[in-house]
Amino acid sequence: MTPRWRTLLLVLAGLVILPGVWRVAMALPPFGAPTSPYGQAVNALVPSLRHVSNMVSAVNFDVRGFDTLGEEFMLLCAVTGTVLILRGGRGEDRRAKAGRIAGRALEPRSDATVLICRMFGVFTLVFGFYVTLHATATPGGGFQGGVVVASGLLLVYLGEGYRGWRRIARAPVLDGLEGGGALLFALAGLLPVVLGRAYLENVLPLGTVKDILSGGLMLVENVGVAFAVAGGFAMIMVEFMEETRATQSEVEE
Amino acid sequence: MTGILSLVPLPVVVPLAVAAAMLAAGHVLPPRLPDVVAVLTALGVAGLDIALTLASRHGTLLYWFGGWTPRPEAVLGIAFGIDPASAAFAGFIALLFAATFVFAWGYFDEVHATFHVLMLLFLAAMQGFCLTRDLFNLFVWFEVMSVAAFALTAYRLEHSSIVGALSFTVCNSLGSMFMLGGIGLLYARTGVLDFDAMGKAVAAAGHDPVIVGGFCLAAMALLIKAAIVPFQFWLADAHAVAPSPVSVIFSGAMVPLGLFGFAKLVVVIFAGAEEILAFVHTLLLTLGCLTAVVGGLMAWSQRHLKRLLAFSTIAHIGIMLTGLAASSGAGMAGLLAYLIGHGLVKGALFMLVGVLLATRASVDELDLRGLGRDIWPAGVAMAVAALLLGGAPLGILHGGADLIAASAPRAAGPVIHAAVLIGTALTGAAVLRAAGRIYLGLGPDPGAQAEAPTEEEQEKADRPLWLMLAPCVVLLVLAFVPADLAKHAAVRVVPLFAAGHPSFPVPEPEAGATVLPWISVLTTVGLACLAFWGHRLPKAPRLAAKLATTPLLGGLNRLHSGLVNDYVVWISLGFALFTVVAALCR
Amino acid sequence: MSVLPWLVAAWLFGVGVYGIVSSRNYVHLIGCLSVCQSSSYVLLLGLGYRWGAGPPIFYDHPPGTPAVDPVVQALVLTDIVVGATVTALLLALALQVHKRRGSLDPQELRPLDRRGS
Repeated sequence: MTPRWRTLLLVLAGLVILPGVWRVAMALPPFGAPTSPYGQAVNALVPSLRHVSNMVSAVNFDVRGFDTLGEEFMLLCAVTGTVLILRGGRGEDRRAKAGRIAGRALEPRSDATVLICRMFGVFTLVFGFYVTLHATATPGGGFQGGVVVASGLLLVYLGEGYRGWRRIARAPVLDGLEGGGALLFALAGLLPVVLGRAYLENVLPLGTVKDILSGGLMLVENVGVAFAVAGGFAMIMVEFMEETRATQSEVEE
Repeated sequence: MTGILSLVPLPVVVPLAVAAAMLAAGHVLPPRLPDVVAVLTALGVAGLDIALTLASRHGTLLYWFGGWTPRPEAVLGIAFGIDPASAAFAGFIALLFAATFVFAWGYFDEVHATFHVLMLLFLAAMQGFCLTRDLFNLFVWFEVMSVAAFALTAYRLEHSSIVGALSFTVCNSLGSMFMLGGIGLLYARTGVLDFDAMGKAVAAAGHDPVIVGGFCLAAMALLIKAAIVPFQFWLADAHAVAPSPVSVIFSGAMVPLGLFGFAKLVVVIFAGAEEILAFVHTLLLTLGCLTAVVGGLMAWSQRHLKRLLAFSTIAHIGIMLTGLAASSGAGMAGLLAYLIGHGLVKGALFMLVGVLLATRASVDELDLRGLGRDIWPAGVAMAVAALLLGGAPLGILHGGADLIAASAPRAAGPVIHAAVLIGTALTGAAVLRAAGRIYLGLGPDPGAQAEAPTEEEQEKADRPLWLMLAPCVVLLVLAFVPADLAKHAAVRVVPLFAAGHPSFPVPEPEAGATVLPWISVLTTVGLACLAFWGHRLPKAPRLAAKLATTPLLGGLNRLHSGLVNDYVVWISLGFALFTVVAALCR
Repeated sequence: MSVLPWLVAAWLFGVGVYGIVSSRNYVHLIGCLSVCQSSSYVLLLGLGYRWGAGPPIFYDHPPGTPAVDPVVQALVLTDIVVGATVTALLLALALQVHKRRGSLDPQELRPLDRRGS
């Protein structure tokens, strides 16, 4: 198909779909009207049933914990695929020296960059841990905290440079973090099965509301997710960063 | 929770845990350990599924995750519903994976066991997809399946693999977004995500554009995965470039799962919505016939063996869709039997192509002409599979085809039978033609055509032939389970699959229907003979045939351009078609 | 006003698909796919909203204060993280394509001509 035909057909399809979209939009409940008994029931029942104050985490790790298990492993799939595609296409001949593009100067890192990144890198990492640990009390959780930790690692790269960064972010460690986190989640769910209950049923002591250590099994799952997400995103960053390294032949020049 | 119920989460959790462990230990695994572990895991999951099938034959088992049994206010938790059809299909998938792992023994010799991790995650996702009773959970496993498939398609890291993977990923990601939108609409109207609760709410809601819209979106997502016209363009590209073990799983399990999931949605959630059933009955019956014909024609015109088989999968999926769209118990039973029979035969065929790739380093039918004489057992297997595909009256595939033929509605009967015949005969003939040309050297010398440039294809060559052929033979032997047995089993499981459907006997074949499979086989063999010795016919009929077929086949091939932009245009045209028919079916 | 979020979601999806269809660069195409993804988030989150309700976190307010639907929020949360990783996968594919052929144009990169019979 020529580009013109493509656009024409797309616009045609769009014109046909438009009345349907309009009808469905008109028939949907108006924005802001309380609709779902599911959400209402969770808000009403779960604080007392599970002693947590963060309903989103409760839904993620307890009520619909099995979904989160699947999403977790989807993350694993995507990261494994990315690593496969980048690592496999690269071969083993990269060196720990930045690649050069002819005609473009390689700037050394300025002191201001190093200072700010050292301060804020550490702060971001601590903030990531904070967000992870407060999963069941205030807004937060493993997914959010894991991503914050991974972005903190990126600040560390900017501050310490490639060599320093790779000393912290080693591939075997990240692999173990990622796989270990996912494994922890899957096995945490098996604990209740061993005790004769349903998979992922909350059998640990539930603690008190608003406390960091409330929620029972949710905390274990939360830690597993945080490890896996942080490890996964850090892995992606390592692999993309490796693409910018010079090849052996360039180093020898 | 005692006894068999405590085993319910294991078909999903065990492969997940094993994959995570293999990933974590990636750097320290000894060379053959991932192969052994993968085969054992797949066989273990198959055993679990068989146990669950047997345990559920008197009634569906319900398992609530997290102990969240339904409450008076709302159904809060996620459930797995084990009925014999779902558990049996899940068990078949696990068996297919076990055979694939044996076939792929020693194929992937890398340090991190990436292939095995991805395949085990693929397996776990398929198990979850079959067994779940919650709409968002279905979506989650659908997504995990998709992402694992994206990564596996690009595995060989050649240029064509990457472009094929890109097309695949973009088309299926759009499908996932459709599904999420559909789930949103259905959730907005019904307020629940559990199948049974949603089914009750849908039946009570009556005529509602939101529910129809939600159905259309969810249906499109599953039909994109199931490669129904006009959503089928990504399939051949993905199959052609994926490693052979992965193609086995794509055609044998992943694509049929799209149709299986769609069938489940129709019978459980939308059983009470008449306008949606009317929609299914009209539009999808037409699309099924169209898919069968298009798939057959495209398969006949291919010389790349994997693309040939991919298009034959499309044709057979179209046939299965006609069974689903017949909206009767017999049609559903036919679908279930056909899914398993087709999966076995297609899996075996892809393994045979893998054998050719490993031993002869080519996947082009004309290049391979006569080169298969030394590996003639593979040729015998390929011919047998071709005849089964072509409609031979033996085995599970025939049982399914019989039931689907019996379920065709009276008014459209001749059209459906004709479309099924075209699809079956063309695909069977294409495979038979390939088998004859490769293993016996039949057919005219292609001459200059064979020298046309093609990409270098090669798969790891030092695996023993018997190791590669053994799982293939096992699959073919399983496909020969008697048709009557398959029909009786399929008919028995439908009342539990479509809860509330009354049980019904195996339909008696109509007068004249018993001759259909023989017509199919004869047409298959006839077309193959035409391909081999047609050049000896007088000039006039040959010229006439060429004038008739070349524009059609050439046009169809040009439509499959390999360009992802085109594919997305077709998806949007399909969306428009669905909208129009949904509006008409009110 | 009360149908605006649904129309915004539909518009985002339409614009994203138009971008994909007219795309001449794989990275641009992946960006358009992200736009399509965000349309489904807008739809889901819009469905959960309630006028005058607060977030479903009962730390400062006692349980029982009106709160929005936490279920759709949980669904979207996990989806965003996963969407980011799938985008990373796609970008890795685009990177490899660029390394091999030096181009990111789908038109130039389509597989070698496939021969029919």
